[in-house]
Amino acid sequence: METIINELEIASPSVVRQAARDFAAALSETPQFKTYEEFTIQLRGDTAAQKTIHAYQEKQRSLQTLLMLHALPPQEQAELERLKQDYLAQPVVKAFLTAQEDLIVLCQTATDLLGQHIGLSFTAACGSGCC
Amino acid sequence: MNTNLTKIPPGLLAATKALAETLLHSEPLLAYHQAKTHLERDAEASAFLERLSTVQNEFRVRQSNGSVTQADIDRLRVLQNEVQANKIIMLFVETQQAAIAYLPEVNKEISQLLGFDFAGMAGPASC
Repeated sequence: METIINELEIASPSVVRQAARDFAAALSETPQFKTYEEFTIQLRGDTAAQKTIHAYQEKQRSLQTLLMLHALPPQEQAELERLKQDYLAQPVVKAFLTAQEDLIVLCQTATDLLGQHIGLSFTAACGSGCC
Repeated sequence: MNTNLTKIPPGLLAATKALAETLLHSEPLLAYHQAKTHLERDAEASAFLERLSTVQNEFRVRQSNGSVTQADIDRLRVLQNEVQANKIIMLFVETQQAAIAYLPEVNKEISQLLGFDFAGMAGPASC
């Protein structure tokens, strides 16, 4: 048995690409995207916030093996938590994380809608979340 | 679905619907939906799949309590062979795989413009 498709019904790859680009353009015009972009730039340029992030990441890296083994001594665990709270307390980090969360919700809503229309999960097909 | 729609700005909602409509007219998705319709309309193919699902479930139960017999294995294998020999089912499976393989290309196009992995942003963060 073969699939018979009326060629007149088919959207060419270039038409699909254009629809994808139009979608991306529409997404980039949303307040959620613009806020996310704004705080991404602010976060990159905020020296104090970058210092706290690097301090946390450095500590995390130095404890990687112990973390993987779930064998972190309590004092190291406390220090790691303190460094995490330090960067989470930075106003620009807070603003960035809120903006990111808002953008995630918007992207999820859009992919849910896409999935409902096309009858396939867009995120599952793209193997999202598994990098 | 309707609760979600209220959160989407109108421009994005229109672009999402337009993209969905265009995707439905792309060759891989047209083929998939056509094969799916054939499958749903074919009583024999649907019955095969239903029977396979039942037998697989029974097999799993027997596996969990250690009571699988050679007859169970043979029964499952025969049914799997019958399903694989069914052209309607196999066409559905093939077109579904092709449609699923096509969507990352669309995601790549979107992501290039946005500067981040769009589906990754929308999907569960597992890493």
